[in-house]
Amino acid sequence: MAYAYLFKYIIIGDTGVGKSCLLLQFTDKRFQPVHDLTIGVEFGARMITIDGKQIKLQIWDTAGQESFRSITRSYYRGAAGALLVYDITRRDTFNHLTTWLEDARQHSNSNMVIMLIGNKSDLESRREVKKEEGEAFAREHGLIFMETSAKTASNVEEAFINTAKEIYEKIQEGVFDINNEANGIKIGPQHPTTNSTLSGSQGGQHAGGGCC
Amino acid sequence: MNFFRGVMGGQAAGPQPSGAETIQKLCDRVASSTLLEDRRDAVRALKSLSKKYRMEVGTQAMDHLINILQTDRSDSEIIGYALDTLYNIICSDEEEEQDESEDENTQKQVDDLGAQFTDHFIQDPEHLTLLLTLLEEFDFHVRWPGVKLLTALLKNQGPQVQGVILVSPMGVSRLMDLLADSREVIRNDGLLLLQQLTKSNAAIQKIVAFENAFERLLDIITEEGSSDGGIVVEDCLLLLLNLLKNNSSNQNFFKEGSYIQRMKPWFEVGDDNSGWSAQKVTNLHLMLQLVRVMVSPVNSPGATASCQKSMYQCGLLQQLCTILMATGVPADILTETINTVSEVIRGSQVNQDYFASVNAPSNPPRPAIVVLLMSMVNERQPFVLRCAVLYCFQCFLYKNQKGQGEIVATLLPSTIDANSISAGQLLCGGLFSADSLSNWCAAVALAHALQDNLTQKEQLLRVQLATSLGKPPVSLLQQCTNILSQGDKIVRRGSKVQTRVGLLMLLCTWISNCPIAVTHFLHNQENVPFLTAQISENLGEDERLVQGLCALLLGICIYYNDNSLENYTKEKLKQLIEKRIGKENFVEKLGFITKHELYSRAAQKPQPIFPSPEEMLFDHEFTKLVKELEGMITKAVHKSSEEEKKEEEVKKTLEQHDNIVTQYKELIREQDAQIQELKEQLSSMTSQNEQMQATMTQQLSQIQQHKDQYNILKLKLGKENQNQGEGSQVNGMQTEELTQLREDVEELRKQNALLQTQLDDKDALINKLRSEASQTAEGSAGRSDSAQLLEELEALRCQLQSQSAELNQVKMERQELLRRAEAGSSNPENDGSMDGAKMAELESRLTTQLTEMGRLKAEAKSSTESRAELEQQLASSTSTVAILQTEKAKLQTAVQESKKEQDDLLILLSDQDQKIFSLKQRLKDLGESVEDEDEDDLDAKDQMDDDEEEEDDDEEED
Repeated sequence: MAYAYLFKYIIIGDTGVGKSCLLLQFTDKRFQPVHDLTIGVEFGARMITIDGKQIKLQIWDTAGQESFRSITRSYYRGAAGALLVYDITRRDTFNHLTTWLEDARQHSNSNMVIMLIGNKSDLESRREVKKEEGEAFAREHGLIFMETSAKTASNVEEAFINTAKEIYEKIQEGVFDINNEANGIKIGPQHPTTNSTLSGSQGGQHAGGGCC
Repeated sequence: MNFFRGVMGGQAAGPQPSGAETIQKLCDRVASSTLLEDRRDAVRALKSLSKKYRMEVGTQAMDHLINILQTDRSDSEIIGYALDTLYNIICSDEEEEQDESEDENTQKQVDDLGAQFTDHFIQDPEHLTLLLTLLEEFDFHVRWPGVKLLTALLKNQGPQVQGVILVSPMGVSRLMDLLADSREVIRNDGLLLLQQLTKSNAAIQKIVAFENAFERLLDIITEEGSSDGGIVVEDCLLLLLNLLKNNSSNQNFFKEGSYIQRMKPWFEVGDDNSGWSAQKVTNLHLMLQLVRVMVSPVNSPGATASCQKSMYQCGLLQQLCTILMATGVPADILTETINTVSEVIRGSQVNQDYFASVNAPSNPPRPAIVVLLMSMVNERQPFVLRCAVLYCFQCFLYKNQKGQGEIVATLLPSTIDANSISAGQLLCGGLFSADSLSNWCAAVALAHALQDNLTQKEQLLRVQLATSLGKPPVSLLQQCTNILSQGDKIVRRGSKVQTRVGLLMLLCTWISNCPIAVTHFLHNQENVPFLTAQISENLGEDERLVQGLCALLLGICIYYNDNSLENYTKEKLKQLIEKRIGKENFVEKLGFITKHELYSRAAQKPQPIFPSPEEMLFDHEFTKLVKELEGMITKAVHKSSEEEKKEEEVKKTLEQHDNIVTQYKELIREQDAQIQELKEQLSSMTSQNEQMQATMTQQLSQIQQHKDQYNILKLKLGKENQNQGEGSQVNGMQTEELTQLREDVEELRKQNALLQTQLDDKDALINKLRSEASQTAEGSAGRSDSAQLLEELEALRCQLQSQSAELNQVKMERQELLRRAEAGSSNPENDGSMDGAKMAELESRLTTQLTEMGRLKAEAKSSTESRAELEQQLASSTSTVAILQTEKAKLQTAVQESKKEQDDLLILLSDQDQKIFSLKQRLKDLGESVEDEDEDDLDAKDQMDDDEEEEDDDEEED
């Protein structure tokens, strides 16, 4: 499928906060109540539309466990967006946000858009972290904030799309160097930018590729 | 080098000790020299010795060299030498050279050497981190040997080095940057490094993929000319294979990144190409393998299906089919292309349908399937190619009932086309050819056309074969068993076992789960004796598998027997086994199948791959069937005839039970229907009930409303009554006033009466006086005056009377009013009490209630009207009262006036009295006798009045 831009995302946060479920809800529109622990990193993808443009999201869902931290760090640099997730029913996952954020800021490129997500908003009765606290943390650290529920799909769509919107705006403002793929952004094949370099005998390599 | 030679020359005692010593000296210089140039020379010398004296340099110099890497980073030259030296001692690639020179070192020891030095180097993970940072150095002399060294380390101790790189920050990312190096040598060696790095480490594979490896590698492949490219293309493809093999996450990423579409141009190789270089064959082979990795049967079905779909949609499958039908393609590539096409279509209906429609560009065009099958049964074709065709055919039929039907149909009398070669003809030809491999392949292929498809199993029973002239046609099933039993008589190429195994597998697949086929099989009187003979014979090792398969076939005949043949019922067959073979023996022979060494290998994966044609014995799908049947047949055979009888009995009782059960079922069904009906009734009733209840509640609420309304009305009425009470109060007040007025009037009347009596008295007196006066002339004038007065008084009296009459009337009206008001207030109360009584039964008589309510309302309305009327009347009466009062006031003033007048009259009277008295006196004086008795009778006051009157009279007279 032709796209205008391709954004790379990573999903980070403590183990068990629902990162994989958020991804599954976003890509497959379903919820799996029992999910195996993620080993290392898992991949998912979906197409969205912003401003009338097709944008392909490639999402790497990372393992939250400490033992995988060194592996998951390798994914910060090449990502344009990060969803930093905590669990509103577990205060400790909120308390660890600072560590996550430091890690992310240290290893990512400075323009990476970070969306703070308080997941499991359907479990209102077990809530330990107030929405205001999340908002305050996001304000303090310059993040976008949302509360989501991977179970009910509430705000899941919005979380991914709003992050993409932010990245898109940054591109429009010229903040991102879109020709450097290490930033996690790629211009789609429909943009006639780098055609001249690769026009050997294999012209029109995308000609046959109608759909994926 | 000169320096080194010098040192060597000085130590002439032999190469080994001198080498060791030299190396020791060099090491000392590396460690102690303060001059960079000195150290650099020493390291360079070590480098040149490192190949020849690998062990010495390794053991003595490694730590010093690592030190150099740490301390002399600023000088790229010395770093370069150090890295080269380390590479030489760690790398095991060039051991052969060394092997020749080092007599005491065996090959194994050399291998150990590399591993030993690697272990030593990576003992401290810091050393690897250091190496990684050195790779960031752009200088060619540092980066290149660094890449080679790291590659060597990975080769020797992959997992450990991978572990260190994985945890070092940005370790993998940095190595990925090597692919972007403009110097091809580094890029190409970077590819080799990444190949080693990604070997069996999913985490690193994913990171490398994340770092845009697919994009970069595909770009490099395109730049290098795809399959026409050199070894770099091969390296890229090997790296891609590393990244994708058994890594579902990366496969998903590859698919989602639309990279499958980018593979299609790889296969645009056409007929016109200039030839097939070895490199091109290798490249294409790897490219085909990449396609297969994405659609491998071991992947999750969903992932494979979506890749198959996109391969069809982007035209990759079509492109592969073109290669399939092209000429001049090397057998190796053709074989792998067939395997690839097989897996691209396996289990995907759309792709299978497409494949069925592909035609070879021959004249006349033949279906690709037919062309391929021709190769399969052609013994001159390479073995691997024939296997590939079989695999392709199997994949075409996998979960493809439509395809199975089409293949079997080509054998059926009704649809057979004599003019062209059909798949069915080819398969039959293969089945009965003199080539055992063709026999086996055709049998397995035909078995796949029947797999899990009862319809085709039955259809195939209809197939008749024309044999030699003059003989009647023979059924396909018969022909198979014939070949099986006469196998030894025909001279064949290849192994007899292979043919028989193939045919037995076909028969087992055919008749399993198909009682009609079992009956057909048993119908041939020779079959069972043949099988029992095969099983019971004590044959050599080679025949064991055949025995096992015969046992399986016989077992299937028992298990799927519907007892339609009297001679070969389950029971009789079992008895046969017991008598002729022995149960234990039978089961043991049955076990020969799964115990065969090739069985488990075939069970592993669907593709038929065999190292040699002789080992081609088992089919993957057949192993599944054996697994399924073995236990069941063992159980069936182990049951004794008594047990069987018992079982029969049990079965009979079961059948009876079944009958009973069916009866009960019928009953239950009926009851069910009844229940259903009743349920429906119930539901309709309940709905009705609900409706009723709803109306009830509605009505109740209405009643309540009405009650409320009624209460409100009652209250209102009460208020009105109160108002009326107030009205009566007002009236009462008025009556009070009235009574007061009446009293006043009474008093006035009394006064009036008193005055009248006085007046009467006076009248009488005046009359008397008049009469007296009439006697006197002078007295006459006074009389007329008093008459006037009397008239006036009379008028007054009349007025008074009329007033009192009016008053009476008012009183009457008032009373009437009061009565009416009372009636008004008592009436509704009566009705209310009546309603209260009615209330209890009000629900049923809502309508009457309503009318009553209406009437009540009307009454209330009329009462309010009457009340208003009354009020009006009251108002009018009050106004009349007011008028009366004013009149009364007038009267009072009139009375006052009349009093005054009376006073005046009294004065006049007194004057007249005086006059009379004086006149009397005068009369006395005059000597006339005057009657005094009148004066004596009168009171003093009267006398006075009289006197006054008299005086008045007198005055008047005056």
